[in-house]
Amino acid sequence: MKIVAQSVSQMQEETESASLCSMFAGEESFGIDTAKIREVLGRRELERIPMAPAFVAGVVAYRGDVLTTVSFRALLGLPENSEAGCVLVLDDDGGHERFGLMVDAVGGVVTVERRMLEANPSTLDAKCKWLFDGAYKMESGLMIQLDPQKLRPSRLAETGMFREGV
Amino acid sequence: MAADKSLTAHALFTTPDKRDVDDLTQEFIAESQDGLDRMERCLTDLETRPQESQQLVAEIFRAVHTIKGTTGFLGFSRLEKLAHAGEHLLGSLREEKLAVTEELISGLLRLLDRLRAILALIEETGGEGTRASDEDSDLIAELAALNGEEAPAPSHERAAPVVPIKVTEEASAAQDEAASAPGAVQTGAAPSSEKTLRIDVEVLNRMMNLVGELVLTRNQMLQSGVESTNFPELARRLDSVTADLRETVMQARMQPVGNLFGKFPRMIRDLARICGRDVRIEFSGQETGLDKSLLEAIKDPLTHAVRNAVDHGIESPADRVLAGKPAEGCLRLRAFHQSGSVVIEVADDGAGIAMERVLAKAIERGLVTPEQAKEMSEREALQLIFLPGFSTASAVTTVSGRGVGMDVVRANVEKVGGSVELESKVGVGTTLRLRVPLTLAIVPALVVRSGGQSFALPQTSLVELVYIPSRDAAEVVERVGASEVYRLRERLLPMVWLDRLLGMKNASVEHGFYMAVLEAEGCRYGLVVDDLLAPEEIVVKPLSAVLREIGLFSGATVLGNGTLALILDIAAVAARAGVKPVMEEREEEQMVEATQDEASFLVFEDRARERTALPLGVVERIESVPLNRIEYANGRPLLQYRGELLQLRDEGRVLDEIEIAGQQDEDASATVLICGDPQTRSARMGIVVRRVLDVSNGTLLEKDAAAGEIDLALVKERLTTIFRGFGAGQEKDWREVA
Repeated sequence: MKIVAQSVSQMQEETESASLCSMFAGEESFGIDTAKIREVLGRRELERIPMAPAFVAGVVAYRGDVLTTVSFRALLGLPENSEAGCVLVLDDDGGHERFGLMVDAVGGVVTVERRMLEANPSTLDAKCKWLFDGAYKMESGLMIQLDPQKLRPSRLAETGMFREGV
Repeated sequence: MAADKSLTAHALFTTPDKRDVDDLTQEFIAESQDGLDRMERCLTDLETRPQESQQLVAEIFRAVHTIKGTTGFLGFSRLEKLAHAGEHLLGSLREEKLAVTEELISGLLRLLDRLRAILALIEETGGEGTRASDEDSDLIAELAALNGEEAPAPSHERAAPVVPIKVTEEASAAQDEAASAPGAVQTGAAPSSEKTLRIDVEVLNRMMNLVGELVLTRNQMLQSGVESTNFPELARRLDSVTADLRETVMQARMQPVGNLFGKFPRMIRDLARICGRDVRIEFSGQETGLDKSLLEAIKDPLTHAVRNAVDHGIESPADRVLAGKPAEGCLRLRAFHQSGSVVIEVADDGAGIAMERVLAKAIERGLVTPEQAKEMSEREALQLIFLPGFSTASAVTTVSGRGVGMDVVRANVEKVGGSVELESKVGVGTTLRLRVPLTLAIVPALVVRSGGQSFALPQTSLVELVYIPSRDAAEVVERVGASEVYRLRERLLPMVWLDRLLGMKNASVEHGFYMAVLEAEGCRYGLVVDDLLAPEEIVVKPLSAVLREIGLFSGATVLGNGTLALILDIAAVAARAGVKPVMEEREEEQMVEATQDEASFLVFEDRARERTALPLGVVERIESVPLNRIEYANGRPLLQYRGELLQLRDEGRVLDEIEIAGQQDEDASATVLICGDPQTRSARMGIVVRRVLDVSNGTLLEKDAAAGEIDLALVKERLTTIFRGFGAGQEKDWREVA
């Protein structure tokens, strides 16, 4: 019985704090749960895909697979960067759809307390409401939490919000 | 107490059974399934070839007997009882106490189905089923009745007493069951056939050997490092080991198409009885090998095609006689190799497809407008059959019309990179051709660049390459309305600019551009690209769903230099660009084949001022080979080409000539024609030529008696020697060298 109690309290502790990997796109900083990140590939030149939806930055070879990579700048409606961005490899929960995410730069790992998460402001537009999970108040400013599930290329295509370019 | 003990003992015995199927049982199932497949073939043969009955009955007897023997040993009593009953009947048949009748064969086929069903049950659950519904006394009684035993004495414990009248009733019920059973049984048996594969030990040994070689080469490479002098040699070794290994693995995965065909005689027999048809089935090319996964992939489309042929294609015997055809319809299944793919043909000599009915149906279903229908060519109209929601059967029968149409057949075949062709003549018959690639994973491709990106074009669709220098561009690109065409050997070829089609920025190329002439699904067009890179054997990687949706790329691949390239779907690009299939082309090709004296030749110069020609069909590629890649053995020049050792023929001593002329030049290269005879599939060879002159049509002259083996032809009104030497004799002496 004791063991059970212990593990429950441990779990609670775990759920109370989360470690996020910080990343940057445009002026803002974002965070994704480190457990959802498979690997940070660093700066990569991507192979572009003609005729692909606007949110697809291209494809990247990763361990024998060809991964579709989502351009986070395109999702935010920012113009394309001239230099190559950083590519992260994300797994979805079931592991069915592995994909890449391209951001301007990747920072480090930050530990935050979950209860500090502030909900999205109600004035946020529909696209950002879909993408953002809320924000943490950090010393350096706000860090917006992202849900990798919602960044999956197939989900993004389903919403139809990001098909068109800027 | 005693009862308690026996109960535990029983439980101990049954639980391992239920939980998992052990190796021994697994082996037994695989073996029995093979045996039953053989039995099925023999049974259908027995009906069509009664003269060989003795041999066939013996074979069937052996199959059933083996099952009976092994089941007793493994403790599957239900299976044993059934097999015993069957063996008893077959024993009488073997001793010629009974004659082969249709009822007898049907009874034995039902036995076969039941045995299969029990095997499937064992595979699934580990037990053979003990429920009341799993009782076989009806079938055992039926088999006994067939054996001429009036009232079968149920020798086994508590088998239900069977009244003869009930037997017939149940027999008819069983018949219904049998009609639906093949499908059910097949799905049940599928898992084991997909999971396991029989491989020749010899092949496996070779594979192990090669893996050992691979490890050795790696060790040597690690020890010597990239800078070492023998690195190129090691790289070459690695290349040859990889090629050998790949070929061996492919070989292990190859299965004869006959495995698939084997299921059809039975299916057709059942179908023919249900539909009231008289059908004879003929096979050819069963030994043609096809990748295991592809074989599985085309199983359903092919089954559907065969069903269609029996149900819709072949007419009832009465109608056939009225039409002046023999009452018995003929269904031909043919498999053969054709230009890097395997073709499986289902041909019937039935009523054919009536074009008016197809068009009427298409209009009725709203697939085309009456105006469109009027303008359609026969070929286009036939393509309508492949549209979703199309079925010409006026009545939905149990056999066809299950919601699975030709669109699904085509989709399934295309999913594995194949294509479907349909040919039909009213009153004469219908031929359906499934064309599938030999293998899925690795395809030869040409890498091209367009708009600053690399794309791979599968070699199977590539017909030829045309270079258009920028100074000629304005002249050769002509316009018909808004579309641009190229005059290729007096035929207008629609041109498709890849960069424009894909909406990429136009990289203005100074030196001119290339046009790849492609052909897919009867569409022929020229794809304009900026540059050609090396041909490569690419490993196909699937794209994510979002990118597949674009519909123009069939996958991606990692190139030798580490960058990615997209693989173009040739047919989809044609459709996107609006290229329509051309009909006349095919007719002309057939005409060329019909008049044997006239053919296309590749004309080249192999010694000073002499024109020599090769039939275009035997030339696979024209390669520019650096001199240092040509090696010599026994004084003969050889070339390592795609993991194959090619003998080079150099009758004009071109190699010596180049060597003398370009002694200082490191990059001197020779032009080599890679030739192979598609008919005989004999070993390929290379022919060294000074330069390639032209491709044109010519007429073969009468064989010149004085010149003996040399054939002459008139190509473009000039006398040209025809290069011969693709016969058996040639092959023999190159084998010696190899």
